[in-house]
Amino acid sequence: MFDNNKIALGLLAGALPLALVAALLSGPVNIDFAAALQQGWRSENSDAVILWQLRLPRALLAILVGAALGMGGAAMQGMLRNPLAEPALLGVSSGAALAAILLLYYGLAWQSGWWLPLLAIGGAFIAVLSVWLLAGRGASASRLVLAGVAINAFLSALMALALNYAPSMFAMQEIVFWLLGSLANRGWDQLLLALPFILAGGLLLFASRNYLRALTLGEATAVSLGFGGRRYPLALLLGIAAAVGAAVAVAGTIGFIGLVVPHLVRPLVRQDPARLLWASALCGALLLLMADIFVLNFVGAQELRIGAVTAFLGAPFFFWLIVSARRGGAL
Amino acid sequence: MTLSADVTCRELGLLRHGQRVLDDITCAFRPGELTAVVGPNGAGKSSLLQVLAGVLDASGGTVSINEQPSQSIPAAERARLCAFLPQSELPSWSVSGADLVALGLLPWGRVPDRDERVRTALERVDGKDFAQRPVTQLSGGELRRVQLARLLVGQAPLLIADEPTAALDIRHQLQLLQTLRGIADSGKTVVLALHDLSLAARYCDRVLLLEGGRLRAQGTPRDVFTPAMIGEVYGVSCEFRWRDGEAEFVVFDLI
Repeated sequence: MFDNNKIALGLLAGALPLALVAALLSGPVNIDFAAALQQGWRSENSDAVILWQLRLPRALLAILVGAALGMGGAAMQGMLRNPLAEPALLGVSSGAALAAILLLYYGLAWQSGWWLPLLAIGGAFIAVLSVWLLAGRGASASRLVLAGVAINAFLSALMALALNYAPSMFAMQEIVFWLLGSLANRGWDQLLLALPFILAGGLLLFASRNYLRALTLGEATAVSLGFGGRRYPLALLLGIAAAVGAAVAVAGTIGFIGLVVPHLVRPLVRQDPARLLWASALCGALLLLMADIFVLNFVGAQELRIGAVTAFLGAPFFFWLIVSARRGGAL
Repeated sequence: MTLSADVTCRELGLLRHGQRVLDDITCAFRPGELTAVVGPNGAGKSSLLQVLAGVLDASGGTVSINEQPSQSIPAAERARLCAFLPQSELPSWSVSGADLVALGLLPWGRVPDRDERVRTALERVDGKDFAQRPVTQLSGGELRRVQLARLLVGQAPLLIADEPTAALDIRHQLQLLQTLRGIADSGKTVVLALHDLSLAARYCDRVLLLEGGRLRAQGTPRDVFTPAMIGEVYGVSCEFRWRDGEAEFVVFDLI
């Protein structure tokens, strides 16, 4: 059984480069792939520009954002000891989204360059910090969840207000589309801006892996195993905020990856919340990349937003959870 | 590395939600001793154990381990000194029995003979069969035995367990107390909260009797378990029959 799990994880890892190639071959324009590959990324040839400046950064961004969201979800679930937890639950995504919406509100979004992602990361940090201050010292998981729900509700109200008083139809449309999440028209700039934050977040989460393991047995036992004090939850919260905030900053709010992915891979890592981190990063990257391939090959008058695709994956997943729980399965 | 733990509590007090749950507790736990903390529901047994284990900070007084104030011991070092099993410890993920037991080795980092230790610890609680089973599929008593193996798997010289026999059948209760007796005899300090006074009388060297957060009596089971004392604290009439230093406890009725 253990070996089967390793094989399954190996297959997932092997599928990622294949999906990457499929993503590079996908798009509204047919390009001469082999020629574009040979011409190199400095070439001015239109096929090479499409491959190296449009498709490659977009595919890599899908991998990076998917990994950040999968890992963030795994960390949240481990920290809150709750399989229904998601970064969105603690207001991390909403905090990032609100900061971005304020820029969109004043029509400054894409002119502002680096400000959009930077403010979104800041928003995620402020949201997660507020949750932490609200929950107080030595907060139990249930208090943390409650604080997250409260912050999230407040941020949603602010977002509704921003939509309500949007200065123009155009601004409103921009906000709505941004909230749907998208990887379209993203380039190396966005990728390179998100990368250091997601890497830093990933390192913080990796450093917290044994704390997550100890939390399997509850907070009292975790303290008795040497994980007392604020620095352990704080490192986790900062790691989540950095990774998820940076992902939301460059791709908008893409839901359900952080919820679905840890569920799918948990049996493959024998339920270990520490190994779940990297397994969820891998599977999240694969899932978002495949969702983007679907988006790229979807023919329609309007561009299909990737957030809408992941939402279609997420809703049936909840139904499946309910059905399996009613059959006596563990949630 | 410290191989023994000499624990002293001086004038220990604890306030929780404005209520005084521990008041002026002065006692000691020595290497080689198996101590039972007994008392009626709400007497403060769990609170005392949590303060000893460093899970709760005392509001007053001190706990010292080997004459070093407990609060000044770094968390990682304290975790290697003291292993703690809370009253209820529901695992949040359905890891296998062996993986749950291995969590008890976290304070020691990478342990070369990890699998061997886990196997031995499971054998001590008669739980070899649980190694590969998901813990959510175990019964209450089976899960408790896996958790006890988690407590026993490390090398901490101080073991604290809150009602370790709850949910165990009678055979495994006796087996567990015998195992803990052996661990204490090997020089470790063992502290248990127990409801079963017969087990406490039979296996433990010392008894702390708590009532309303205060230490009502302490000493050998024979000193503490007198019909008068048990009658006052628990409100039952009883008799202890002592045979070769071992005791059986018979409850007759409510007073």
